Amino acid sequence: MMEEEEGAEEQQRFSYRQRLKAAVHYTVGCLCEEVASDKDMPFSKQTIAAISEVTFRQCENFAKDLEMFARHAKRSTINTEDVKLLARRSNSLLKYITEVNENLAQFNLERKAKKKKKSEDENKDAVEPGEAGVVEIEN
Amino acid sequence: MADSHSPDSEPTTRTLLRRVLDTADPRTPRRPRSARIGCWSLHSAQISPLETSSSRRLRSQTKMSARRWSHRIRSIDRLAHVQASGHLEEQTPRTLLKNILLTAPESSTVMPESMMKPLTVPQMVQPSRRESSWSSLELQLPELEPPTTLAPGLLASGRRKQKLRLSVFQQGMDQELPLSQESRGNADASSLTSSLNLTFATPLQPLSVKRPGLARRPLTRRAVDVGTFFQDLRDTSLALPPPDTVLEDTQPFSQPLAGHSPSVRHSLPCPPHSGAKELERADSRRTLSGGPGPQNNGPGEPAQLLAGKVEEAAAAAVGFPNASSSISGEDGVEPLQNRVGEEAEERTEESWSMREVEEAAGAQGSARAGEPEGHTEVTEAEGSWGAVEAKEPEGSSEDEDTSGRTASPELASSTPEFLQARRLQVLEPALLPSTAVLPSEPAQPLLARLPPRPRIAGPRPRPDPYKAGLNHYAKLFSFYAKMPMERKAVEMVEECLDKYFQHLCGDLEAFAAHAGRKTVRPEDVELLLRRQGLVTDQVSLHVLVERHLPLEYRQLLIPCAFSGNSVFPAQ
Repeated sequence: MMEEEEGAEEQQRFSYRQRLKAAVHYTVGCLCEEVASDKDMPFSKQTIAAISEVTFRQCENFAKDLEMFARHAKRSTINTEDVKLLARRSNSLLKYITEVNENLAQFNLERKAKKKKKSEDENKDAVEPGEAGVVEIEN
Repeated sequence: MADSHSPDSEPTTRTLLRRVLDTADPRTPRRPRSARIGCWSLHSAQISPLETSSSRRLRSQTKMSARRWSHRIRSIDRLAHVQASGHLEEQTPRTLLKNILLTAPESSTVMPESMMKPLTVPQMVQPSRRESSWSSLELQLPELEPPTTLAPGLLASGRRKQKLRLSVFQQGMDQELPLSQESRGNADASSLTSSLNLTFATPLQPLSVKRPGLARRPLTRRAVDVGTFFQDLRDTSLALPPPDTVLEDTQPFSQPLAGHSPSVRHSLPCPPHSGAKELERADSRRTLSGGPGPQNNGPGEPAQLLAGKVEEAAAAAVGFPNASSSISGEDGVEPLQNRVGEEAEERTEESWSMREVEEAAGAQGSARAGEPEGHTEVTEAEGSWGAVEAKEPEGSSEDEDTSGRTASPELASSTPEFLQARRLQVLEPALLPSTAVLPSEPAQPLLARLPPRPRIAGPRPRPDPYKAGLNHYAKLFSFYAKMPMERKAVEMVEECLDKYFQHLCGDLEAFAAHAGRKTVRPEDVELLLRRQGLVTDQVSLHVLVERHLPLEYRQLLIPCAFSGNSVFPAQ
């Protein structure tokens, strides 16, 4: 019974994995099509399959590394710092990620500022200090 | 069995034995005569089956040989009977042979050689024969064959030294397969005599007859190189003065913490010193270790002679004079010896393992209070390394690297700057964060090269600090390539190694910074190894340490490895 359960679980995991792989494969295919149309050079199916397989495996590695990095920093949550550490190898990627991170942070700040303004407008007297305090805490 | 007796004109042992055999003929071999002669009957019983089988075989081959064989057997029996008649109380093969010996020298005119043999050989053989008289007598029959093969050679050689004869005899015994009785055909009067004479010698070779492999071969002694011998003597004499520190180094757990740190310090810096001392180690390495000598960060000129460097290192080493000198002494003292050997390995790995040791030592801090020391040492090493590597993170341009490298010569004449850093023990904290230079190396290249081969580079004073340390690795590489390598190829390898190390140290530094630290710690090393796949859930860091580090450093990392079941808790 247990073995059957395990077998079923194994199959479930396997099928889940296959679905993930298929998703990755589809995405890689789309990207490759874009590049192909851009450079006017078609991609063969084997190439796309190879790229998607490599991507999938590399994602596994990334996940393990990220977990290790987070644990190394004595955290239980993966942080942008961990991601940046992961991407340090490639300078351009690191720059890009940092930029995106900054943009995101800025965006968040802006959003919070907007929210804050809205809240100020809507709930000036009572909620404002609370929200402001909350916003400050969040920041 | 042919009973015709060949005319034995010589009044030799042969005749005596024949007489014995003749007298013994009427008695059936298997008939037990008496308890005293029980052995003899046994012997006779042995003789008879041999006799029959041998005689049959002989008949198939040569009648002569058959006659000889029968003669021999009969002669033995006769002798036995002679003895039996003479001394009924002591009817043993021992007494038989003894009598043969006594009678043998009397007839020396006809066969001077054969007579010489029994004279000289029995004297040597006698003591052994006493012990194995029975076996010798037993083996007389089979042994008669081998001597026959030797006999022609022996006789042909004329007068020879006894040793030579014996050696030839030994060779013959070796060649002679056990109990091969085909060579009996060679028997003739002289050979029989010689064979009888040589039977005395056979007790020396009973085993060889049955097991040729056990025969002793002449020892091949290599000529002793007096020069190296005296050199070693000098080294050991140098090593003798501070035996206490040596012992202290090898047994770090026999002393309290106070003793630990110095021992740790001693042990770790010692290898560089000893390595420096080792003339056989890579010269670049030597120059490097010589550099650390002047602790004052003086001009570590790589051109300095090793001896001078070692002395300087020994003299200037703060707190390490004993260890260093003892290490420099080295060869005579065992622990030093091991350390030196490990030192060679260490240095071949550019002290990566040492760094790891430091790191690991730091990791082991819980078990050993040496952690703070290890930590400081790590910092030291980092500082030294940082002096070199600090420039790297600042700028990835090669110019900066070279500048960093040129800065390093001040500290160290070549790569193992960390050695010098240790000497210095003065590290700018600013350098520390950049020193991600940890022995993350235990990774593939170093571990793969663990059995180091000390090499002596040709141009010793190579003042290129940039790649002087890598020179050693490149040499290792060319060694393991098993093929001659072009100089360009070696340089390429050095470049690749350089980039690899830079990358590795950058990683370590990033890991340390990621954890909000400025010091590279064993956890960073472990993380690096884990990323490389060397450390897994099945294989831990300690396993790798045990697998690849020499014992002396292993014991620093794994407390139980060398403590001999006496592990003291950290206090």
